[in-house]
Amino acid sequence: MNQTPSRLALRRLLIIIAVAAGFIIFSYGWTVTEINLARPQEPIRQQNVGNALRELLSPNVFEQDYSIINATTPIVMNCPADGSPPAEAPQQTGDQPYIIVTPTCARSGETVTVQGYNFYPDSLARINWIDNSGERRIRQVAGVEGDNFITEGDGTFTVQIEVPRIRGSADQTHAVEAQGRFPVGLPRLSNTTGLVIEKMIETIFLALIATSISILPSAILSFFAAHNLMRPVRMSLGNLLMSIVLLPVGWVIGTRLLAPLATLGANLVSGAGLTTASGAALLLLFGAVTSSRAATTATIENGGRVRAALNTLLVTLVFIFAFGLIGGLGILVGRLFDTGVLGYVSNFVGTVGELMRLTIPLIAGIAGAFALSSVGTSLTLDGLKKLDTTSAHVLGGVLGAIAGAIVMALVGLIGMQAAWLGLLPPFAAASLASGLLPGLYRRLTGTTPRTANRSIVTALSWIGSIAAFVLTAALLRVDQAVIAGTLPSQEPAVNLLGMGIPLYIAETLLIGAVLGGIMGALSGTKAAFPLGEILYNITRTVLNALRSIEPLIMGLVFVIWVGIGPFAGVLALTLHSIASLGKLYSEQIESIDTGPIEALQSTGANWIQTIMYAVVPQIIPPYIAFTMYRWDINVRMSTIIGFVGGGGVGFLLQQQINLLRYRDAGVAVLAIAIVVSILDYASASIRERVI
Amino acid sequence: MLVIENLTKIYDNGFKALDRINLEIPEGQFVSIIGLSGSGKSTLLRCINRLIDPTEGRIVWRGVDITAATDDELRQIRRRIGMIFQQFNLVRRSSVITNVMSGRLGYVNPMFSLVNYFPRAEKERALAALERVGIPEKAYVRASSLSGGQQQRVGIARALMQNPELMLADEPVASLDPATSHSVMKYLELLNKEDGITILCSLHFLSLARAYSDRVIALKDGRLEFDGLPGEIDNDRFKQIYGEDAVEVEIH
Repeated sequence: MNQTPSRLALRRLLIIIAVAAGFIIFSYGWTVTEINLARPQEPIRQQNVGNALRELLSPNVFEQDYSIINATTPIVMNCPADGSPPAEAPQQTGDQPYIIVTPTCARSGETVTVQGYNFYPDSLARINWIDNSGERRIRQVAGVEGDNFITEGDGTFTVQIEVPRIRGSADQTHAVEAQGRFPVGLPRLSNTTGLVIEKMIETIFLALIATSISILPSAILSFFAAHNLMRPVRMSLGNLLMSIVLLPVGWVIGTRLLAPLATLGANLVSGAGLTTASGAALLLLFGAVTSSRAATTATIENGGRVRAALNTLLVTLVFIFAFGLIGGLGILVGRLFDTGVLGYVSNFVGTVGELMRLTIPLIAGIAGAFALSSVGTSLTLDGLKKLDTTSAHVLGGVLGAIAGAIVMALVGLIGMQAAWLGLLPPFAAASLASGLLPGLYRRLTGTTPRTANRSIVTALSWIGSIAAFVLTAALLRVDQAVIAGTLPSQEPAVNLLGMGIPLYIAETLLIGAVLGGIMGALSGTKAAFPLGEILYNITRTVLNALRSIEPLIMGLVFVIWVGIGPFAGVLALTLHSIASLGKLYSEQIESIDTGPIEALQSTGANWIQTIMYAVVPQIIPPYIAFTMYRWDINVRMSTIIGFVGGGGVGFLLQQQINLLRYRDAGVAVLAIAIVVSILDYASASIRERVI
Repeated sequence: MLVIENLTKIYDNGFKALDRINLEIPEGQFVSIIGLSGSGKSTLLRCINRLIDPTEGRIVWRGVDITAATDDELRQIRRRIGMIFQQFNLVRRSSVITNVMSGRLGYVNPMFSLVNYFPRAEKERALAALERVGIPEKAYVRASSLSGGQQQRVGIARALMQNPELMLADEPVASLDPATSHSVMKYLELLNKEDGITILCSLHFLSLARAYSDRVIALKDGRLEFDGLPGEIDNDRFKQIYGEDAVEVEIH
């Protein structure tokens, strides 16, 4: 670049302006955060913080038994005006401890001297004031911090206390009590320490369970969030639309036919048919595995495809039956033991079995949907390829309309749950419509994506998106929902294939059908659809959104759902860990050496095999490292998740702080510091060793 | 017979890597592909097993149109086309034998392969392949602990597991020293002579092409610049392929 003097001067000026602007912004921040030097200098605040810190730094870890001796002497409040003799101090003799208070009568706020004799030498003592109702209050001794002072070496002491201000106490006779304490026996861990240790164990396991539950979901999600893996995943639009159209059909079949099969499996085990059931399952499994072997070697013509399709169905049946069997087995094991180590195991396995049994309809639906859609796609593959151009576009329009309706109806189902979720359907419509005008433009000008004018295409795509957003938002009355928080009516209003559906769903469905139909007709069934790119974007968005919500806030919601306790904390930390581990894992996938992927693809390995042999060996070490790191973070987070009721040591800590029991709080703080630093060190050294 | 008709590849950024390439390669030939960096050698090789999808044109191998194959068909075709790479593309953390056996994934039961189970026969085949490339003793060490030449031989062994009938070699010796280069090229020659495998090998050094191949193809800016016998490349042709300023460097 040509550095003329004027240009240089301009540059310098810009830098000065930038620095000045930065300075102003920083100063504004100084004001906004109320940085104030006067307040910390106020004596009362300094004294308070000093006390709190002192107590925090004197954690109540140990305690010890004391032998306690008392001596009491009466004192008259307000010396009588006539100067009559004050109450007589009881005569003390021998080696019994006794105290003398001078003067023997005093007004509130006056200072009296207490002399004690025959107390434990060089040990703790304190002065209590006992009013005429017998209530004790500790009197601080002048010149000593805290409640206790130390007696002299000969067992005597002389201290001064202030007479407490007690309303209406004039002329009453109160008493001064001196209490000497002497430690006996060995020091032991205090009750607080016991409680803190118990809660700390809960904390560590809370973090461990949350981390370990999150490993599998985030590992699966990480593949979808890895750009290098997803970008090449393309599917012909025809196949994609076909599979979307078949998804709900498969769902219905799955929940109606597969779910009873799984339930049968679950019930068989719980009953007497355990042997029969597992025998049948083994046979089915054997059949599936042999048949899958045959499918790969068979020449892939239509006959091969039918076999592959049958194989998929068989595998689905086996899977869902085995799912039910395992669930039933878990429930059975759950009933076996009640106590001891086996009790824990049986409780765990039983809960997992129960969970599996509860999710049977869901899993069956998903399995049915994916099985049918995969079979349908593979059987129609050849047919779709042979279509001529016109029928490809017509079929694209028809399938596009159905698929668009299905997708948008699903989005609408989410959108009608909360007012601001109502923004989802307009966004979905906008992204559906983004390719609409560019597609039309290319069709009219006869250009291809490569030759079309880029800026026109971009502009058209924005115009289409915004128009679709605005129209959808207007039709669905999103403005009302967003401003007033009104939800669309859930009442069935429209009859579709014998099902009553709310008007809102009917509207989203219609929008989807129109947009999807136009898009499908424009692109035709043979267009390549960037499925991977879209899955990647959706996964990334969801992960980022989840990650931006602090576990404490998630904890608040889960406490409402499952009640106060560590379970809520586990759920909150799990959800957050899934999001952040998913992101960390996917970044590891993005940084792998892609050479082996290419090499394995070139050998004819399928997609899953390529992942298993080229990707997995490369990512296992960083996955272990990041999981350790996450556990470390989760332990730290679980120490405070208790503040919102999520269980663990935080719950205890919050109680202690609220009750101003800083010495007890100190124990919790100390325990957190010890555990966190040990884990920090351990996870760092393990990470170092693995990478 | 491998027939390439009118093959064109334009990348998404508009770069034209291949421009209407027409070739016929009979069975059993050892063909070298030479040309400057960026002349389209790698793209041509990757179009043949469709690691890269060509923009236009057809590739027909033994009567089967590779460019029109579906995913399933493509896997069947790829099983019989071996490929070795400049950077070897081994999984460095895995053992040598796992790397070699991964060349067999297209043949074995996909369900068993996912739990890392290979039948005994496959394991023996892998050991035999390693024996053939002269490093049977390295079977159970990590791939990353091998030297460059040894890693490339593992790459060849992995390709051998496919029982290939066609071998694509993308600058197989560009990361190796001259002595090792010759040993790797000799293994390729052996596969060509003994097993009758057709070999397409892109090379930087004309001297290697002259020493090992039956036929030389030269690419320049994505176009076919020369197709003939190695001996036909004289100084003029050389300058035509590599540019006026180029001087031939010998590798011995």
